[in-house]
Amino acid sequence: MKVEVRGSGRPLVYLHPASGVRWTSFLEKLSETRTVHMPTFPGFDGTASDETVSTRRGLAQQVGDYVQKEIGAACDVMGCSFGGAVALWLAIERPQCVDHLVLECPGGLQSVAPALRANPHAFYKALFAHPEKVVHARKPDEIEAQNRGMLAHYGAEEGKDPDLIDRLGSVQAMTLILHGTEDRIISAGTMQLLKSRLARAFLVYVWDAAHSIEVDQPERLAAVVQSFLERSDAFVVRYA
Amino acid sequence: MKFCFFHLMPFTGVKEVTPDWPTPNRVFDPARAHELYRDYVDTLVYAERCGFDWVGCNEHHFSPYGLMANCNLIGGALVYPTKTIRIAMMGNLVPLNNPIRVAEEYAMLDCMSGGRLVAGLMRGIPHEYIAYNIAPDASWSRQREAIALILKAWTEPEPFGWEGEHFQFRQVSIWPRPLQKPHPPLVISASSLESARFAGEMRATMGMVLISELALARECIQVYRESARAAGWEPRAENILIGMHTVIAESDDEARAALREARRYFDGVLMGGMRSAGRLVLQKTRYYQDQANRGRMQNRLARREAATLEEQIAGGMVLCGSPESVVRQIRRIHGELGNGIFNFTMKVGDLPDAVVRRGMELFRDRVLPHVRDL
Repeated sequence: MKVEVRGSGRPLVYLHPASGVRWTSFLEKLSETRTVHMPTFPGFDGTASDETVSTRRGLAQQVGDYVQKEIGAACDVMGCSFGGAVALWLAIERPQCVDHLVLECPGGLQSVAPALRANPHAFYKALFAHPEKVVHARKPDEIEAQNRGMLAHYGAEEGKDPDLIDRLGSVQAMTLILHGTEDRIISAGTMQLLKSRLARAFLVYVWDAAHSIEVDQPERLAAVVQSFLERSDAFVVRYA
Repeated sequence: MKFCFFHLMPFTGVKEVTPDWPTPNRVFDPARAHELYRDYVDTLVYAERCGFDWVGCNEHHFSPYGLMANCNLIGGALVYPTKTIRIAMMGNLVPLNNPIRVAEEYAMLDCMSGGRLVAGLMRGIPHEYIAYNIAPDASWSRQREAIALILKAWTEPEPFGWEGEHFQFRQVSIWPRPLQKPHPPLVISASSLESARFAGEMRATMGMVLISELALARECIQVYRESARAAGWEPRAENILIGMHTVIAESDDEARAALREARRYFDGVLMGGMRSAGRLVLQKTRYYQDQANRGRMQNRLARREAATLEEQIAGGMVLCGSPESVVRQIRRIHGELGNGIFNFTMKVGDLPDAVVRRGMELFRDRVLPHVRDL
């Protein structure tokens, strides 16, 4: 598994969404105080796929192997959308690898509307409340198509992972769930359900953000994530 | 047709007319205020016995125009002496307040009243922004965000945090939650095209006041309906609330004389400082977003001020006259606008409370029976 590392500070593993790896301004900001490890899941962004791994749970095992081998201790883990489901599996199956868990509109918990799934253009539009803030260039069409194809490879095309939902109660990591108030891909109800199933979780709505919170509101996202990672559950207390 | 008895709770008896803002409070008399509050609350409670469906009040600051810095306190005083009438807070000035506090206090009123709250979520009139030192330029963005946060606070089953442009909360879980599900009905002011659009989007009842021409009011209603349809719902007549000064007396002449006299106090004393402050806000900020909106609002106010009382009655800007005349005026406005609620401000300026009460009884006995089924 290819892993890119940027920044310095305590390690944080970031698990990318189905659109693949993107160093958004939020991640650049995060890497000012953190060593960000960003694996590329096999088959995404033009990398070779791994026929022995065909589930998000399997990807979590690979990430767990990486954490144990390269980082050597529990670290903070953040997953976005598709990567959020992988992060949840990691927290379930390899709890010793996860310190704090940050889930940015995590996938795996509900079905994605068929009309959105069938229409990549509509899906792309649903990602952003502020498309004017998209600064990164779109990936070549063949890469985007390949990334979409990997959802089927990992059994994630429909969205929902019933096994994952069944095991949410075993997550012990202190968790921050983030949801955009304009998200039309993952519902607020799903995030509420997730929070209710986790032992120690906070749910924060980011105002005026759709599914791509990192693009729509990078400053707000950075403020709350950094506060959570630095102060743990004391992030609920306002500091002067 | 439904009717709301609305009260501003003006401070009466001020002799000195001042254009200053804020109105200097050296002329405020607490002992008089003690009497006024008691009388006004009694009058509001009496509205239930006069057949009104809602009783309403609202928030204002720093002037004798209205004595309710927090109208929820008055709402609390109305809950137990009344049984069926809806308690319409119209409302809290959402951009100026802590939205969580608004959500909490409204939820309290809803529980205390057994689910009778009507929740007004107002943007406020320009000068209130000076009072609370909030930039008028941010009024719309604060209003939108605060309402979204209030709705979350009312409906969210799990503790949640909020990371917004104007408001940040790490943990919210209000006690109590409202009795009405999914939440109390909303009223949002919709006297401009922009606000009418927003009220439709938010599935709220639209509240229109300061009507200067029925044609302009129709335009706002049309925009409201279109916006509601785009948001996936169809407003009913009772989602359109039209508010105006209302004086009902035994004869047309008596009603007109009373309103004319009361309006002198309203325009001179109550509006004095507010007009100056409002002018400043309108000239120096983007409260109305752009020149076109500002122009429309200024023209509207100028038209209202220039009109004689007779022109205001004929133009559907006020309701005034004998019970029979007021029945005709209500029928006409309803025919033109299709509204299902009228919001009566019967305490206009310093109109004597005895005149107000007599008007309420005339409404019950000689107006309501003829317009209830509209």
